[in-house]
Amino acid sequence: MITIEHAGCIFCVGCSSVCPVNAIEAVGTRMKHYPERCIDCGLCAKVCPANVITLHKGVKDPGQLKASKGAGK
Amino acid sequence: MKYDHDVIVIGGGPAGSTFARYCAGAGMDVLVVDKRREIGVPVRCGEGLGTREVLAQNLELPKRCISTHVVGARVVAPNGKEIIWKDQETTGWVLERKMFDKWLCELAVDKGAKVHTYTRATELIIENGKPAGVKISHGGQDPYDVRAPLVVSAEGMESMIARAAGFRTVHSLYDVDTCYQYEMKPYDHENLLELYFGNSIAPRGYVWIFPKSDRKANVGIGIGGNHVNAKKGATGVDGADPKVLLDRFIASHPKLKDASTLLEFGGVISVGAPMDEFVKDNFMVIGTAAKQVDPVHGGGMAVAMETAALAAATVIDAHKRKDFSKAALSPYETKWKATLGKKMAKRLMLRKAIEKLNDDDLDYIFNTITYKELNETMDGKFAGPVAKVVAGRPQLLKVLSVLLS
Repeated sequence: MITIEHAGCIFCVGCSSVCPVNAIEAVGTRMKHYPERCIDCGLCAKVCPANVITLHKGVKDPGQLKASKGAGK
Repeated sequence: MKYDHDVIVIGGGPAGSTFARYCAGAGMDVLVVDKRREIGVPVRCGEGLGTREVLAQNLELPKRCISTHVVGARVVAPNGKEIIWKDQETTGWVLERKMFDKWLCELAVDKGAKVHTYTRATELIIENGKPAGVKISHGGQDPYDVRAPLVVSAEGMESMIARAAGFRTVHSLYDVDTCYQYEMKPYDHENLLELYFGNSIAPRGYVWIFPKSDRKANVGIGIGGNHVNAKKGATGVDGADPKVLLDRFIASHPKLKDASTLLEFGGVISVGAPMDEFVKDNFMVIGTAAKQVDPVHGGGMAVAMETAALAAATVIDAHKRKDFSKAALSPYETKWKATLGKKMAKRLMLRKAIEKLNDDDLDYIFNTITYKELNETMDGKFAGPVAKVVAGRPQLLKVLSVLLS
């Protein structure tokens, strides 16, 4: 899955334009990520001009992300 | 079946507003919805526009839309060798894009189009297997149905509704440029568009300095999506951060290094081939949403306006016959492919040839060709310039021969 630092997002929707599986979309005034659709390809993170998207390969559930962060560092 | 409008246009940018102006002018009931709170805001654009399409549509740009006039271009090779290029192709304006978009939209309103801002098309309404309108939400409130026999996507890069209608809107990294731009001041310019090429300056792209009023300039970079590395600070050809490269360019530019930034933003632009098809039953895609962008420089406004005029001519005719089937809408697609499509296909070939050149090749070419040959090249007349380049550097024939086919 990916995480988005929304505060730095410039809402250019570039991520959405390269996502092959519609896993990131503009909803209201921010980008919304759908982890269940995400295939970890990382294209969104690559293309993002504001560098606010981080790819966490293999992570499916946001809870797991928090846990591993806490455990690892 | 009762419809609320003859046509619903999603997006009030240059494509949507131009399309709406023509259709409303022909007496159609047009609704334009735009997700933004204000038409034209935020600006995400280098703001350069040639005079050609504006004149073709008999428009007279009001002063407030023009930041400054452009009299030509300065194209700079990796080694600093420059070509000054003054011609019809490089005559135009750097706009105040916010004012320009709003003005174009106002022209549509003047013709009778209805425009709603802060209104997002959330879903395509399908009836009997065909589009019949969209659900729209004003300011995030509960969506409601708006029905029309034709839905037009002028959504730009987002193109969610076009995607829902079954169009292949997704881009590969190879077919996008990732961009970053500052508005800077002071910068004393000569009303020239300045374009800097080089694989270490901007891999598969360029840095631009576009003059603006009051000693200002748009200073931006676009690099190939396949050359981007999201890792902060990366500068290699195989993986670069566009903002870092742009900052490096500015730091090494004597007239910019001490200038202030007044605005900054980034974006992703389409520089690949257009979509294979632009129409389906009761649905049409125009402008950047259909990937109708110049693949060489990434400019979308002029193409969008020209496309919108073509599309509107077809729609006005279809409206008279009350037929919005795919067949009735296809003249737009056929005409586009025969005119603009041919031009864009040549530009794409050119982009793909240029991206194979190393800095030494670029230096050689800039040293060899004149602005007149640059002009021919942009016109798609490759034979003369290619022959001249290959005569002095035969090894480039392999890369450039695609332009001769």
